[in-house]
Amino acid sequence: MALSNQQPGSSFREGWVDADGFRIRYMESGQGAPLVHLHGAGGLRLTFAHDLLSRRHRVVAFEMPGFGQSPENTKTQSMRELAATMGRAIGTLGLDTFNLMGASFGGKTALWLALEAPERVRALVLEAPAAIRQPGAASPSGSPEEIARALYAHPERLTDLPLPDPAIRAKTQPLVQRLRGPDRDAELEPRLRGLATPTLVLFGTLDRVIAPAMGRVYRELMPNCHLVFVYDAGHVISTDRPEAFAEVTLDFLDRHEAFVISRAETLIHP
Amino acid sequence: MKVSFFETVRYRAPQPLPAEWPVPAGAYDRDAGAEAYQGMIERLQYVEELGFDWVSVSEHHYSPRILTPSPIVSAAYIAARLTRINIALLGPIVPHSNPVRIAEELAMLDNLAQGRLVVGLLRGTSNEAMTYDLNPQEARERTDEGMELILKAWTEPQPFGWQGRYFQYRTVSIWPRPLREPHPPTYALGTSRESCEFAAQHHLGCGVSYGPFEVMGKATTYYREQCARHGWQPSPDHIIYRANMLVAETDEDAHAQLRERPGTTPFAMRAGVRDAVAALDARNIAGEARPANVTGVLPTTFVGSPDTVVEQVRRCKEVVGAGVLDLSLHPPGSGDLDSLMRALELFGKKVLPRIRDI
Repeated sequence: MALSNQQPGSSFREGWVDADGFRIRYMESGQGAPLVHLHGAGGLRLTFAHDLLSRRHRVVAFEMPGFGQSPENTKTQSMRELAATMGRAIGTLGLDTFNLMGASFGGKTALWLALEAPERVRALVLEAPAAIRQPGAASPSGSPEEIARALYAHPERLTDLPLPDPAIRAKTQPLVQRLRGPDRDAELEPRLRGLATPTLVLFGTLDRVIAPAMGRVYRELMPNCHLVFVYDAGHVISTDRPEAFAEVTLDFLDRHEAFVISRAETLIHP
Repeated sequence: MKVSFFETVRYRAPQPLPAEWPVPAGAYDRDAGAEAYQGMIERLQYVEELGFDWVSVSEHHYSPRILTPSPIVSAAYIAARLTRINIALLGPIVPHSNPVRIAEELAMLDNLAQGRLVVGLLRGTSNEAMTYDLNPQEARERTDEGMELILKAWTEPQPFGWQGRYFQYRTVSIWPRPLREPHPPTYALGTSRESCEFAAQHHLGCGVSYGPFEVMGKATTYYREQCARHGWQPSPDHIIYRANMLVAETDEDAHAQLRERPGTTPFAMRAGVRDAVAALDARNIAGEARPANVTGVLPTTFVGSPDTVVEQVRRCKEVVGAGVLDLSLHPPGSGDLDSLMRALELFGKKVLPRIRDI
């Protein structure tokens, strides 16, 4: 899969919806089955992975209320509430059913949305989800450079190291802390046993924020869950290894559990 | 000090052989082969009697010099025929194959050998890239990824997929699991910065080979520094030094024998191939670039009478820090079994008892 030299996300167009009193921004590109994306605590950032996914799906990446340039969100009190708001926002775009992808903090949002409206979510892709965490797992903190270093496998290799904006971070941190919940969530986990939605859980082998070993808990709890490790990727898999991330995500969205059957063409010469 | 005997099978060709690698398969003599494998077991029974701690096997292809293209097959057979000695696979050439299969086979072996297995994982020597059409420029990365996948296959309790650069699997879940938890004692073999760092990060041992003590010491020092960075301290047992040893009754005898040894490997790559491989196969010692060894001739770093060799072992322990010596007492590819047996007896009786406490 070749990537162009353009900026990631350059084909995405901005849009706005209203839900629960919030004006919610989103970025959209591509055609095909809808793929909704819910970002992590660092906010919405389009990556090459989004570009790759938008070649086969209508990708709608939301900026959740309180993130980015939107006003501080003191209203939303729980992750379940945020999921409900996002469910309504998605509905205003006319999307009754959709594929749902969540990264880190947004992975927990996506899980709640799927739990509360399972009839709407065709498949779930969780990128380093933050719903089940090792004891003492902390959101990356410190200087923008320190945060960036915690998120990526090889920060020194990124030519354009995305640095968090301290002002935005100050605004979003209280929201994140209020909504992230405990490391092990006794309200959420038992309910996962009953969530039959085909689910792909991805963890980078070099994730320094959430231990990749947490991936096995989702697989143990959920009836149709698949665990995939992305080698040499950190917490933000879609930035560290966009092609590897996109390939397995697209295949899973296409075939669900049948994705275990290889379609790779290994014929060398006819 | 633990001592390991490096077993190379010892095929004795009844006719002169073509001198180039790969050696034509048609030159293989079936009786000589059968004799070599039978002789191996008899020799190893003696090695076990002498009190060696391990017997080690390596992986080499397409020549009679070391007749073990599958170290796993060798190890399984040895484990069945010898019941006390430990068996070290030093080791499967990781970039060649399917790392999941290596993980499965080693797990089987750990169970079959009832906890006597030791594992060394490596990138392989330069000519080995040509065995299965491996691009030498991809060898390092394939090795690092493969080693990590092997460890994951041994330790992850849930079925998992792997999105690597060079390996991709959708659903891995190996049965059996290794007998030992989390896995058998495992070493990353090689002096490179990459293998030292990998070993340190994953709590593995480190194996270095053939070079002079000072040079090997650079790698093992780097390994220890990296272990400290990862919050742990290796013991001497975490470091293996594979070496050639020439022990004789006197120092003069030993040096005379050394002079008589051929300065070239018995089955060399064709010159054009050798030079091209050297250009493509970048190696390093703890980060310092070094050329690949394409001639196949390896130095002998223990030479002398039993007294001299005991002192050399002492010095080696100080400089390299290895708690395990994996020894070749006679050049592989030599058909002279009598010399080998004499060296083995001399070492076993006059050196081994004296170096146990080093």
